[in-house]
Order: sequence, then C-alpha cells, then structure tokens
Amino acid sequence: MAKRGFNGAIMSAFGLRDHEAEVIDVEHLAPNFVRVRMTSPTVFTDAEVGPTAWLRFWFPDPDDPDFEHQRGYTITEADPEAGTFAVDFVLHEPAGPASAWAESVTPGTRVEVASMGSTVFTLPDELPAGYLLIGDSASIPAINSILEATPADLPVEVYLEEHEPSDRLIPLSRHPRMNLHWVPRRGDSSLAAAIESRDWSDWRVWTALESGSLKAIRARLKDDFGFPKSEITARAYWYEGRAFGKMRGEKKDDTPAEAAAESTSGAEPSPASANASPTSPNAETPAAPKGSWRANAGGRLIAPLKATLWIAGILQAIVTLVELAPYVLLVELSRQLLTGADSATLWATGIWAVVLMGSGVVLSAALLFWLHFVDARFERDLRRRLLTTMARLPLGWFVDRGSGRIKQLVQDDTLALHYLVTHAVSDAVQAVVAPVAVLIYLFVVDWRIALALLVPVLVYIVTMYIMIIQSGTKPKQALTWAEQMNVEAGSYLAGQPVIRVFGGASASRFRSRIDEYVRFLTDWQRPFTTSKTVMDLVNRPATYLLIITALGTWLTVSGSIDPIDLLPFLFLGTTFGARLLGIGYGLSGLSTGLLAARRIQNTLDEERLEVVERHRAQVDEKDTAASARDASRDSHPAPGLVEFDDVGFAYRPGVPVIDGVSLRLEPGTVTALVGPSGSGKSTLAALLARFHDVTEGAVRIGGRDIRTLPGDELYTQVGFVFQDIQLVQGTVAENIALAVPDASEDAVIDAARQAQIHDRILRLPDGYDTVIGTEAALSGGERQRLAIARAILADTPILVLDEATAFADPESEHLVQQALGRLATGRTVLVIAHRLHTITDVDRIVVLDHGRVAESGTHDDLIAAGGRYRRLWDAREITSATAPRTQGATR
Amino acid sequence: MIRTFLALMPADRRGAMGLHLALTVVSVILRALGTVVLVPLVAALFGPEPAEAWPWLGLLALATAAGWAIDAVISRIGMDLGFALLDSAQHGVTDRLSRIRLSWFTPANTATARQAIAATGPDLVGIVVYLLTPLLSGILLPITIAIALIPISGPLALAALIGVPILLAAFFGGARIGRHADRVAAETNSALTERVVEFARTQQALRASRRTETERSLVGTALSRQHGAAIRVLLLQVPGQVLFGIASQLALLVLAGTTAYLTVTGTISVPEAIALIVVIIRCLEPFTSLAGLSAAIESTTGVLRNIRTVLDAPTVGTAAPTDSTDRAPAQIQPHPQAQLHAQDLPRTQGQSRAQGSAASAPAITLTEVAFRYDPDSPDVVAGLDLEFAPGTTTAIVGPSGSGKSTILSLIAGLQEPSAGRVLVDGVDLAVLDATARHTLTGVVFQHPYLFDGSLRANVLAGHPEATEQRIDDVARLARLDELLARIPGGWDAEVGEGGTALSGGERQRVSIARALLKPAPILLVDEATSALDTENETAIVTALTDDPTPRTRILVAHRLGSIRTADRVIFLAEGRVIEDGTIDELRAADGRFAHFWREQDAASGWKLRAHPSA
Repeated sequence: MAKRGFNGAIMSAFGLRDHEAEVIDVEHLAPNFVRVRMTSPTVFTDAEVGPTAWLRFWFPDPDDPDFEHQRGYTITEADPEAGTFAVDFVLHEPAGPASAWAESVTPGTRVEVASMGSTVFTLPDELPAGYLLIGDSASIPAINSILEATPADLPVEVYLEEHEPSDRLIPLSRHPRMNLHWVPRRGDSSLAAAIESRDWSDWRVWTALESGSLKAIRARLKDDFGFPKSEITARAYWYEGRAFGKMRGEKKDDTPAEAAAESTSGAEPSPASANASPTSPNAETPAAPKGSWRANAGGRLIAPLKATLWIAGILQAIVTLVELAPYVLLVELSRQLLTGADSATLWATGIWAVVLMGSGVVLSAALLFWLHFVDARFERDLRRRLLTTMARLPLGWFVDRGSGRIKQLVQDDTLALHYLVTHAVSDAVQAVVAPVAVLIYLFVVDWRIALALLVPVLVYIVTMYIMIIQSGTKPKQALTWAEQMNVEAGSYLAGQPVIRVFGGASASRFRSRIDEYVRFLTDWQRPFTTSKTVMDLVNRPATYLLIITALGTWLTVSGSIDPIDLLPFLFLGTTFGARLLGIGYGLSGLSTGLLAARRIQNTLDEERLEVVERHRAQVDEKDTAASARDASRDSHPAPGLVEFDDVGFAYRPGVPVIDGVSLRLEPGTVTALVGPSGSGKSTLAALLARFHDVTEGAVRIGGRDIRTLPGDELYTQVGFVFQDIQLVQGTVAENIALAVPDASEDAVIDAARQAQIHDRILRLPDGYDTVIGTEAALSGGERQRLAIARAILADTPILVLDEATAFADPESEHLVQQALGRLATGRTVLVIAHRLHTITDVDRIVVLDHGRVAESGTHDDLIAAGGRYRRLWDAREITSATAPRTQGATR
Repeated sequence: MIRTFLALMPADRRGAMGLHLALTVVSVILRALGTVVLVPLVAALFGPEPAEAWPWLGLLALATAAGWAIDAVISRIGMDLGFALLDSAQHGVTDRLSRIRLSWFTPANTATARQAIAATGPDLVGIVVYLLTPLLSGILLPITIAIALIPISGPLALAALIGVPILLAAFFGGARIGRHADRVAAETNSALTERVVEFARTQQALRASRRTETERSLVGTALSRQHGAAIRVLLLQVPGQVLFGIASQLALLVLAGTTAYLTVTGTISVPEAIALIVVIIRCLEPFTSLAGLSAAIESTTGVLRNIRTVLDAPTVGTAAPTDSTDRAPAQIQPHPQAQLHAQDLPRTQGQSRAQGSAASAPAITLTEVAFRYDPDSPDVVAGLDLEFAPGTTTAIVGPSGSGKSTILSLIAGLQEPSAGRVLVDGVDLAVLDATARHTLTGVVFQHPYLFDGSLRANVLAGHPEATEQRIDDVARLARLDELLARIPGGWDAEVGEGGTALSGGERQRVSIARALLKPAPILLVDEATSALDTENETAIVTALTDDPTPRTRILVAHRLGSIRTADRVIFLAEGRVIEDGTIDELRAADGRFAHFWREQDAASGWKLRAHPSA
C-alpha cells in the first residue's frame, strides 16, 4: 500500500472505497491533451454518472513511487453497464503526478479510483435565460458535458482562458446557440475583464478555473453584473504557480475537484476556432447594467414585510434572552443562599424572576398575535393579487399547468409564506440567538469547561459528515425511489380492476418493486445504526453532565474554580449541544418560505394579456393600408365580423404553429376548420377566443384588434363551447346565468329550453335551485347542454365551437346536437371539425395544414377541386379513427 | 396510532418489543440515578471538602457509562424493529390493496393508499428510534426523577410529583389546542382551496362569463370569508403555542421557590439546596426534547393513519367491512365462511374454468341482485333477476347512471352484490376465491388501463401462454393490426405509463385484444362513450361476432352498430330492467328502446348548419 499522506487518511476515515481500474485505450485528442479509457467493473456501484461528474484517482508520485497523490478528473465517457469510462488529461511541463502518469500510460496499466463528493450538473426546473460557462483547458471536459446537457434553444456563452495556444485545439462539444470566446491569460483578472458587459438577467453561471482567475471572476459576476450567489456554481480546479508534483499530498484541498493543469510552455500557436472572439482584456469596459434575477424574486415579494420581519426578529431576540434569564437568576439565587442573604433579597430575586418570566410570556404571545395578524392580511392581499394576475394570463397558461399546480401556488405556497412570516423568522432568530447567548455566557464564566463542551458537538458533526459522505448518491436515489414508488403505486392503484381480471404478472411486478425499495432503504440505513447511536449518545444531556461534573470536580478540588461558576454549566450546559445543532434546523424554514415566495413572485411577473391602446396595435401592424381600413371600418362597425389578418402564432420562438393565416368570417356564417391533428385548427380557434396572443398579424372582430378590447368587452362578443365542460359549484340557475348573473328567471328558463335541458332540470331534486355536484350528478351530455344554455344566454355574436362536443355523450347525442344547432343560429361560428360529414352544409370549409390555409370553399367546391379536402373526405373513415387524442381545446 | 403500530409489528418481533421496552425503563432509571447522584456530588463541591465529590462522580460516570451501553443496545433493537416495521407495512398494505373492494377506491382513498405505499418508508424505519424511544423516556424520566427525590427531600419530591403531570398535561393540551386550531384553519382553507381549484379549472368559462375580477368572482368571495375565519382562528392558535411555555416557567418558579423556602426555614442545607436546583432543572429538561418531538409525532401519526385507512378498508369476500381491524395485516384473511378455494369445490364448472379450459359457454344468473357503494348510499341497481343463456350475446342499453357498468362489475366479480346472488352455471361467485372468480371473465373496460411495457406484454397479460397464431388472430379481430403496422417497433412498442403513449382509441383496441386472448368463458365489454373513433366500433363488433371462442357475452352498448350484434337487448333505467327482448321486439314495442334507437339514428346523420331545419 502506497503512502497517501493526510489526504489518504481522511479519505479512508470517510469509508471511501477504492476500485481498481485498468487502462484499455489512450487517445491523443490534441497536442498535450489525451483521453484515457479505462475499465473498472465495480466503480459504478459508487460513482454517479452525469454531466461534470468526476472521479478521484490515486497517481504515483513521479519522484517517489511509494507515494500516491489524489487528483480529481471529470468523466468524459461512461458506460456504467460495461464498467468502462474515460477521462481527459492536460499534459504539461513540469509534469505533476497526474500529467506524468497520463503521458506515459499504456493499456494494461492499473490505477486505483474512488468516487466521493462528485456533483452532477442538472438543469433546474425553471430554465435560466442562458448559461454562462467559464473555464480553461482543465475544465473543458466538464464544459463539454454541460453543453451536451443544455437544451438546444438555450443560449450559451462560453469563455475559455487560454494558457497555451494549443488549448484551442482541444475538441469542444457543439451547441447550436453557443458563442465561444478564447481569452489569452495575462494575469488573474484578464479573463474577468473579458466577460461582456451586458444585462445578464436570469442567466446562470458554471465556472471552474485557476484559483486566482476564479477570484476575479467571482468579483466581476457579483459586483459588476449582480449575479445572485444561488445562480453561480464555481470551483477552483488548480492553483497557478503551485507545482502539484512537489506537493506530497499533505495538503487537504478545500476545493471539490482539482484537475491538475499547470500552465507552461508547449505546443505552437495555432489558429483559433471559427467563432472565437479575441477580447482585449485592457479595453475600457463600460459599466455593466445590473440584471435582475428570478432567483431574487422572492425577496421582492416579501419586501413590504421587511420592516415587520426585522421588528419581529429583534423582539424575538429579546424574548429569547428573557427566556434564558431565569437560569441566570437561579445562579444568583444560589449565590444569595450561599452568602446567607436575608429573605428580602431572596424575595427581590423571586419578584424579578416573576416579572421577567411574565414579560417573556406576554411579549412572545403579543409577538405571535401581531405576526399572525399582519400575515393574515398580507396573505389575503397576496392571494388576491395572484388571482387578479391569473385572470389576465393567457388561457393557455392554465392548460399548461393544470389545477394542481395552481392550487399549489395560491394555497400551498401562500401557506409556506405564512409559515415564513409567522414562524420561520422567529424560529431562526431563536435558534441562533439562544445558543450564541449561552455560548458567550458560558465562555465568560469559564472558558475551559465551555471549550470542553464543544468536543461532543465536534464528534457529532464529524460523524454526521462521514455519514453524509458515505451516503454518497443514496439520498438522491432515495428521492428518485420515492418518486418512482409514487408513480408505480399510482399505476398499481389505477390498474386495480385490470390487475384483478388479468392479474398475475403486473401485480407481482409491483410486489418485487416494493421488495427492491425496502431493500434499498435497508441497505442504505442499516450500516448507519452505529453512527447514529454514537451521534445520539454523544449529544445527550447525560454526556454533557458527565463532562461538566468531571471537569468541575477536578477544577474545584484543585481550587481553580469557584463552584458557583459551575452552576451556569449545570443549568444551561447540558442542553448546549442540542441548542447549537438546532441552528441548522431552525434556519431551514427560511429557505422553504423563500422558495415559495420566489414561485409566487414569478407568477406575478408572468406576461399578461394586456389591453393595448388602439393606436399602438395599429402601429404594430405592417400594413398601413390595413390600419386605414381599420379606421374606416371603425365608423361602420359590423358586429360579428371576424378577420384573421396574416396571423402567425408560435408557442416557442421559431416553431410556428399558425403561419400567415388570413381569413374573413362574415357575420352570421358558419366556417369549419378541417385538418389532421397538429394542423393548428384548435390553436387557430383558440386565438379568436384570445387564449393566447398572436405573435404575427392581428385578429379583429367588428373591425377592432382583439388586443385593444378589454376582457369584458371581448367576451361580450366572443363565446365558446368546447368539449371540456366547466361548471362551477353552485345551482343550475347560477351556472346558466354565469355570464349574466342578474338575468331574469324567464331568460334562464328560455335558454335552458333552447338547449334541450329544461325538462331534465325540472326532474332534479330542487329544479333550477339544485346545487350541481353535491345534490345531483349530471351526465356528460347534460353538462354539455347546460354549458350550451349558458352560451345561449350570454348571447355573443361570435361563437367558437368544437364539433366533438356533439359526440362526447352518446346517450344524449341527439339533444346536444339540437342544442348546438340552436346555439349556432344567427351567429358567426368558427367550428373545429373532426367528422367531415357533420360540416358538409356549412358556409365555408377551411383546410389547414401545418398551420397554413391549404384550401377553402364549400363542401361541393372542395370535392370538385379534388385537392387535400377531397383526399380527407375519401379517407374519412381512417382519419376519424385517428381523431383527436385529447379534448384539449387549445392545441 | 399505538394500535396501528402494534398491528404492523410482526408477531416474531413481540419479544424484541418487550426487551426494548424493558431496557428503556432501565435506561430511564439509570438516568434518574445519574441525576440524583448530583445531590451529594454538588453538595460536596459546595461543602467544605470538595474532594468528597470524587466517589459520587465515579458513581455518576458508572451510571452514565451503563446508560450508554444500554442505550446502544436499545437503539440497535429499535433500528431492527424499524426495518421489520417497514417490511411488514409495505407488504401488508400491498397485500391488502389487492383485496380491497373496488368501490372503496374513491379519489380521496386512492390518494391515501398511494401515500401509504410511497411516502411512508423512511418514517417507518425511524419510528422506534427517533420517536417512540425518546417519547417514552421523555415522559418517564421526569416522573422517575421526582420519585427518586422522595428520600432526599419529601416536600420537593411532592411538588415535583404534582408538577410533572401538570406539565405533561400542558404539553399535550397545548399540542391538542394547536391541532384543533390547525384543523379549523384547514377547514376554512379547504373552502377556499376548492374555489381556487375551480377558478383554475373553469378559467375559460369564467373568463367567457366575465367573472374573473376578484370583486365579481366566486373565489373573491371565498377569499374574504377565509380571511375573516383566519383572524378568528388566531384566538385559538396563539394560546396553544404559549400554554406549555407558561406552564414550564411556572413549574421552575414554584420548584425553585420551594427550595429557597426550605433553605431559609433550615430544612435543608445551602449546598443541598443548590444541588436540588440543579436536579429540578434536570427534571424539567426532558420536556424540551418532548417539545422537539411534536413535529415528528404529527407526521408519524399521519403516516400511520394512512396505513390504518388502507388496512381498515373493506375487502372483497369479507361479510363485515370493519371486522378485520384488530388483526395484523399479515394475518388478515378473507372471511373464512365466504372463502372457498376453487380446488376445494366439488366437481363444478368453477373448477374446470379455474384451470383455464373453456369448453363451453356458461349460463349466468342474477337473482334478486342489488348493489350500493356503501351502506348509506342509495341502490345503484336493485331487484335484478336476469338470466344470460350460454353462448348468447346480450346488449345492455340505457341512460347514463342507470347501472349498466355495475352489472358488468358484478358479473366480473369486481364488485359484490349487497343483496342477492350472482351465479355462473349454478355456482355462486361469492363462494369462489378471487382467482377462480377472475378466471371466468375477460373484460374490456370503458377506460382501459394499460401497464407500462410493450404492446405485446399488455395483450399477453390476458393469457401469457397463448400461441403466436392465437395472438395474431386476436390482433386482427381487435383491429390492432393497423396500429401494429403503423407504430414504430410494432409489438415491441412501449405503451407508456397507463398507456398514455397511445390514443384513447388505440388503448381501447389493445384492451379488446387482451380480453379476447384470455380464454375466459365470459366476455364483458363496456363500450367507450367517445364516438370519434369508428375503428373502435368496428373492433368491438368483430370482437363480438367473429371470435370463435365459445363465450357468453355481455356488452354495455351506446351505438347502434354494436347493439346490432346482440341476440338480446336489456334496457336499463334507474337500476331496473325496463325492457327486455330482441331488437325487433323492442323496436316493435315502441318503448324507451325504440325512442333511443330513433334518436341514435337521427344523431348519426346530424349536420351542423347555420339555420337548422329542425
């Protein structure tokens, strides 16, 4: 066994397992850059694979083969199944142990490798505006893996510090939106100065550099651009001027990974890669605008509460100190007893105690009351703001999220904020102030015993740290397991009828998954039994008591302490450890609350459907003649006229769903949209109902751009009935009259009659006053007719309709159809058609294909034309079989 | 909570449980001893001869070391029990789930069951070590210290003995008030939650109705109401949170006051008094750790409650839904009398069918059958007397909610009649065990559920030993060949979780193939209501007419196409048979079915017009 110095000792204390790897292949990718492929059947039982994941290698010292050094290298290729992987080395002179090893390595060479502390780069749920990657030759392997993991539509800026001209020959991964900048190193700050001065709002940074450069980069990012800490992942990979080869590994590095890559002379200068932009480090850079980050949004949300929380924190600090006071008074009491104080003094102490305790209780109760009260108001206002914001978001936003996510936002996240305001801040203050106060008090009384009390705390922390290290990827796996079990349990439950009838395999599969899960938890947790016991025993009051009394007896007997000074320790010292370790726990509530605050603020910041001033909407239009027409039409508005004017729409930039559609729907006519699914017919219809805003052109009704209409005005003109029937909790009458809450009873009944639902309503327990859902379950067709009645009563001149509505419920299909026919009468109707034979009589059929109008005309015209429609018609049995998969009305 | 815990603990761990309990008591006594030793120890330190403290310190060290040793053993046993609990709970819940009555799976119960499987593991492992042991010693330690004080200072011990129960009461009382307040708050919140979810779910309708502005919206009203309630809840919440604090400070005051009084009156010496103050503080200390446990108590109670809910759910084949509550899950069995394994049957059709042979189609008889979801709800079907002749195809027709699907569930043995009997060739389904019962039927569900896996695996679930020829046959009958030709990977294509990679119609056809492949003598088809997929209609018709396997077929039908395949039609309304006969007979009778037929006929030719003629 080679000597591995202090580093090695630490590693084995952490229970680090070494695996043997055998070199199978060495490839020179660039001058001074080699990729070494290795195989190790066991290493992937420990190591996690993913972007930026790295392994620790033990390389022999070039001068003293008995000594080994540990170096971390990024995994560039990995096949966990086969147990093969590769790492890249930068070769340099003078060579360190890793460089020397890599330079001379041949297939068959063996090396020991271990995994610990490696972190995997993961994309956050909420993607940043872009990634700023800063590195050098040593971090190119990691940067490559990040580039491969980054979505193609996310912009990426890569800054690489050039230590050697040959660095530019090292192969880089491709990314369609990558901008590459090579910056020759002229000192610690040259790279930092080269970072473009721009608004980096919502970008994230990943950087791994030489330590000095990194320091400069950190300052640049934080001070000049305003990057929040949470958005920066930074590592020092190596140190300029420290030849690692001369270090005997005694240095326990505080950086997570240290890829050796000393900078020295080497290969010849070579042309830079195509889009490298040499930036002068000395150029005067204008002051960068400080960006704003969504990550900081939480702070903005609770800004109005800042003063409150400060006051609460200060009050809580006082309360905490007051709550500790009785112990000090008890010490005082003991002193008085010892000195034989008279009863008046004792009484005074007693009264002090009562006053202090009383005021502590009163103060903390008052604080709680006040915070709850403030919070209740804040919470209500916040929810109101959220709901108001949501009412102005594109309807597509709701389709994307679903009611569960929205409930989390309005309900759970505001509740988490509630905890933040009412408890988290106080808890955190208490968790910090109490141990700090006790610590100071005890150190002032007797620093020797106080110091001794820190020993168990240290043992606890070290044991815990070792456990965390030994757990490795297990906590992450545990989360994945929990998620998976949740999904599998859901599937097992949803499939119960099927499992029972068809049984066998599916049920036993779930059972074996349960076994695996139980085994995973057991394998993970069981080895920790001893560690956990140690942590528990070392930190319990009895242990502290023994330390205090032992030291106390010794010090007292030797006469170096007044026994009265032991009392604070006996009173407060025994729970000292628990208090100190509670700090972390007390602070955790803060981060949960801030995360919730961030989600809420981000929703409040979502882009709303704003009502545009009319002239602005016109300026937006390309065609000035159109706006002239617009103006002229304004004076003769034709209600019910719908115009799509060169309309384009894309959910994501560059991927148009609707492209250059121009249509004119004359008042009182029925237009059917036809096309295979994905052709954009639902989206086009949704644009008229302003579920989304067009990205090109304009949709006009009665001559006015719908973006200039306030919501209330728009929806007095446009109504819609889709397959997804939305009833609110309330009576039948309330549901029909949703849009016209003050409608007369007769009007409601008339609408119901026309929608063929009146008779059914009369058969309900309370007729029109029956509460839907709780008192009466309505069938699909009945709900549809109710929605149709609602649309009839709303009486909008324009109607968007999904033809599938007519067929959603076979039991009352006929009645729904009649109701729909009645609803369509006398309105401008845009209908999304699935079954061609139902729309043969409409005024116009528009065939869409890939978001463009392919054909339009009457059924007879189109059949005669023999185009796309004709083909759809001839093949309609087949197309109807592949009809819409979901009832989503917007996509 | 304790009940569930004990029920989950496997029988062979009872001994370990006892040992754990006994050792915990010993550990508490040792700790109390360690505390009481402080009296002579501290007294000596404050006395004229501090060196007299050494022997006492030795004793304290001994007690502490012994405590460590015992606690190490306790924690080892505790971890062991935790893992045993984990294993038994996960399997107990899974086993139970496979036998629970289907009607129990409401959305709320399903969510609970899901939690009980997926979210309880880590909590269960730690339940003994992190909750029970500290809870037990936290309660026992102050009491034990108080008792140990008796020989040292009677009056102080008395004060402590009175004080400790009061403190415990304040602790649990405060927690209870807090829970009550939380419950009230949750109730006021849930009304708002419902409106919020509705606000999101019905956003289109609300916006079209111009009801989204807070002042005009339903959710705005709910919000104002919730705010008022939240302010009222405050009056409950705060007292719960400060009650224990007040009590413990009072206790400290009274006990210290008593000590001071005893000292001033000369009952005890000053060093003794100081030592006793130390002991008093140590006596109150465990309450601090109890306070730290309340969150864990809360979450663990929730975990155990979820498990309990599943374990208490009524199972298929048990007469009384709640009579199994006192049994451990591993021992829960279907009701013995109602349970009869297929092998135990005398030579009946049931036996041969249970072995998978389907030589002939059986007769199905329903006598006086009624069904309701739970004892308080109204009957879904009632007084059903039906006879399905061997080899016939029957269509059940009727408005939604009339109980059509329920009849299929009853015959499939997925639900059990609340009254009456379902007989297959004269054998009551209730005497067959679940496996035998399910061997009899192949079912096409209205909302077919597919398992994550390949198309082939899903079809084969019906009959894993089926021949290739047979698999190809059913694929053709179910119109699956078109999908197989189109989908990348063909038979090996993955269907996704729940079958979501396929369209509704495609899922339906896979499920038809699955049911056809199963060599069951009864085929039950619940036709999908969605009318957009004509391919499915054809698939159902061929599945019913062209399948050569002798079967008795029952179909819940919505479309004329599939109804036409039936020998006989039953028209159901409000859980009762209204009309029964051949299609021609019923059309001639000009009743509900004839009306339904005409409407369907009209609907299939419907066209959307701006000016309808109707």
